Amino acid sequence: MSVLTLREAPPERLDLHALTPLALSGLGQAEAERLPIGTSRRGLVLGDCFSVKLGGADELVIEGGHERLDRVGAALSAGTIRVEGDVGQRLGAGMAGGTLTVTGNAGPFAGAGATGGTITIEGDAGDHAGGALHAAKAGLDGATLVIRGRAGAHLGDSMRRGLIVAGEAGAFAGARMIAGTLAALRVGDHAGYGMRRGTVLVGAHGTLMPTFVETGTHDLVFLRLLARMLRPVSPGHADLLNGTPRRYSGDLATIGKGELWVAA
Amino acid sequence: MAAWVKGGAADADGAVQAAAAILAAARTPVFAGLNADVAAIRAATHLAGRIGASLDSLGSAGTYADLGALARVGAMTTTPAEVVGRADVVLLVGEAPRGAALVERLNATAPSRGRAAGGPRTLLRLDALSPLPIAVAALRAHARGHLADDHGLLALAKALAGAQYGAVLYDPAELGAAGVEMLQGLVMDLNERTRCFALSLSGADQDRAALQVAAWTTGQAIRVGFGRHVPEHDPWRFDAARLAASGEADAALWLSSRPAEAPAWLAGLPSIALVSGEPDPGMAEVVIAVGEPGAEVGGVLWNEGRAGLSYRAPAAPAARPAAAEILGRIAATLDARKDA
Repeated sequence: MSVLTLREAPPERLDLHALTPLALSGLGQAEAERLPIGTSRRGLVLGDCFSVKLGGADELVIEGGHERLDRVGAALSAGTIRVEGDVGQRLGAGMAGGTLTVTGNAGPFAGAGATGGTITIEGDAGDHAGGALHAAKAGLDGATLVIRGRAGAHLGDSMRRGLIVAGEAGAFAGARMIAGTLAALRVGDHAGYGMRRGTVLVGAHGTLMPTFVETGTHDLVFLRLLARMLRPVSPGHADLLNGTPRRYSGDLATIGKGELWVAA
Repeated sequence: MAAWVKGGAADADGAVQAAAAILAAARTPVFAGLNADVAAIRAATHLAGRIGASLDSLGSAGTYADLGALARVGAMTTTPAEVVGRADVVLLVGEAPRGAALVERLNATAPSRGRAAGGPRTLLRLDALSPLPIAVAALRAHARGHLADDHGLLALAKALAGAQYGAVLYDPAELGAAGVEMLQGLVMDLNERTRCFALSLSGADQDRAALQVAAWTTGQAIRVGFGRHVPEHDPWRFDAARLAASGEADAALWLSSRPAEAPAWLAGLPSIALVSGEPDPGMAEVVIAVGEPGAEVGGVLWNEGRAGLSYRAPAAPAARPAAAEILGRIAATLDARKDA
């Protein structure tokens, strides 16, 4: 297990995308401390901001998070990264596999374009969690993103594949969804704006889009499979499917093959 | 040359030296505004590359709303001249387009070219009782035939579908990225059966000029940072207002040789302002008055009517330096310093 300990609040945003347990395990102490992580012309390296203790290739622990630590775990494909504290933007953006856990809060674009693995944020997430970066065709793309606290606006924007589970979410949750599954205990206004396909399951919601129509209640095998899939991730979300949830179909501004399930 | 350092009048050399000192000491300098002629935007971009600063522009919120939709779904756009010449149905989306000078021209003329030539022109409005992006989505659902319960929207959808050449006018800053994407989707749906085009009203600032310079210089849009000696594009990280509010920026250069209000955050950090008109000497640590391009000095500016860059000669030439000249002098001073 490698351990990086943040010495003090970083003076600029740091880009940690290259730090994976596998990459660090192949380096000597001096090599690791010279890894460039700064984003200004000062050219900060890992040893300037963190004390470095190298270990095995399976796990990396970052002790002492900060909202200026960007792209943590973005290149992760195997192994585990655990951050004890907050992180900045693009947590696990584009990651392909492995397990990424943050005990604090995450900035915007957490899990953007992630194709595999599991990202867990025990605190809150910023806007566009599981969403698409500027000009990207898709947001979350196969990974599992779990936000125990509250997610900001545009949760799961343009997600194409995978699962998002959030405690609460802001406005425009599931906007422009292409496919995939998003479950939240509560979402803000205008969930599913422009969604084409995909499934959004909510306990409660703000103002609904006028372009969603109620299609009644249904007893579908799919819902029981969904509940079974959700239960190991979050029993509270699986419980949303107890009873007979109402189904809304939309967004009718597009092809309208998405569905919004509202717990009974 | 009129210049001020810390509120007191200074000579040109003193102000340039003070500006260079601010930039030399900075870790994360930010250049904002870019509301100027092409030569000044180029000079600012080169200076930013030299010292590792990041760039943002005055109207970038609207510009990025347009760019986000363009990059994801494409866009079917037209120019003001084409709308005046050809459009028989024009839809004004939201509040902002109603005050546009183009709308006066559209009211005063009728289509003179193309399929609708000789016929009348109808101007319609999409009023936003719900938030504007939601209203656009509802209109699109009616235009697709998926909904038919709102008679007002149904009438708008029928008018656009029945047009020979429809045009939708919008302000991207008002509509937002998701709304622009929805509106472009509506336009593309309509083009299955007839002609319809979107026209983004970008306002009078020089954002479009900044966008062109950024594209041909870095291959990216405006919000680019040079901290790692290569142009990095990140619309969230290099948002100048965010950089100032988060405390990440430790120096700022405000470039607005065209009239515009400076942001309130400018006074909160070591800053340099290159502005035209009669500047407030306290607006920044170093303030240098420059000539307004197209009014006091010549310059290449975005021409809204022609949707292109063109040279504008000074209407009333004044003995003020061009912003590009001052930026060049700051760069030369930095080159001569050992610490930059």
